[in-house]
Amino acid sequence: MMDLFVWLEHTPIANAIRTTRWMYPTFETSHYIGLALLVGGIMLIDLRVLGFARTLPLKSMIGLLPFVWVGFLINVLSGSMLFIYGATSFGVNHAFWLKMTFMVLAGLNALAFDLSVRRSKVDWVGADLPPTYVKAFATLSFVLWLCVVTTGRWMAYI
Amino acid sequence: MLGFLAWLDDTQLSHFVAETTWVYPTLETMHTVGMALLIGSLGLIDLRVLGFKPELPLLETQRLLPLAWLGFTLNAFSGTLLFISDSVMFYSSYTFRLKIVLIILGGINAALLGRKVFQPGPSGTAPSPPTVGAKWIAGTSLVFWFGAIIAGRLVAYTP
Repeated sequence: MMDLFVWLEHTPIANAIRTTRWMYPTFETSHYIGLALLVGGIMLIDLRVLGFARTLPLKSMIGLLPFVWVGFLINVLSGSMLFIYGATSFGVNHAFWLKMTFMVLAGLNALAFDLSVRRSKVDWVGADLPPTYVKAFATLSFVLWLCVVTTGRWMAYI
Repeated sequence: MLGFLAWLDDTQLSHFVAETTWVYPTLETMHTVGMALLIGSLGLIDLRVLGFKPELPLLETQRLLPLAWLGFTLNAFSGTLLFISDSVMFYSSYTFRLKIVLIILGGINAALLGRKVFQPGPSGTAPSPPTVGAKWIAGTSLVFWFGAIIAGRLVAYTP
């Protein structure tokens, strides 16, 4: 594993990120913009499923998912760049691996949510009556993304 | 001003934030979550005013405002403490000053937008679609808030 991190850290692109002054701050800034779209969007959807701002149609709020995906893509790309910049230190950072674990869990949870929207026999989205298990997905999603942000911030201090 | 800030940097609170292991990252995390809440909800209102997602009832998007306020409060609180931890540095940073200006402009914009868009029309009438003026406010609001994110990140890299 360490060999891979060493190799990653010496790829031309990693060298470029280290030596070009503007590249690291640009990726970092992109990561924050992606975060605002991703986490901002997800929290709005989760809270709406849980009953916040009921007068906004549930269907259109779930329709914000494309924004979330754009934020996710921005962050996978910028995050990968930030990772290879310092692969040998991030690769052994416990907060980083916790963050990745929370992201996988949040991803699986989002998949379960998505499937329950697509596969439901009753139109609970249109009727604005999310079943209890869907509310559980929404709660879990909110908590997991909070954990992703928290562990992400703590990476610099562990 | 610098004299006052130098005193501020030497208060117990400043040392507490800067030197206690868990405090600084916790405040930073709070600042990040508050940002997502504030910009997520205000950004959606701005986009709706600009004509995006027309199926969201425009007047009802003001239900998101409490969330924006929650995010703002979290960030005013965490931001103030982070500032106090190293106030001379932040105050001297042009990028930080720019960030504060952008936040003030964003706040003024949000207040203007509230008056233009969320004022109830004559009773019983459907609210009129946003005017060009309201759209300008919404568009610049997005620029100010995303500008504030960018400036905030760049404080660490610029004078």
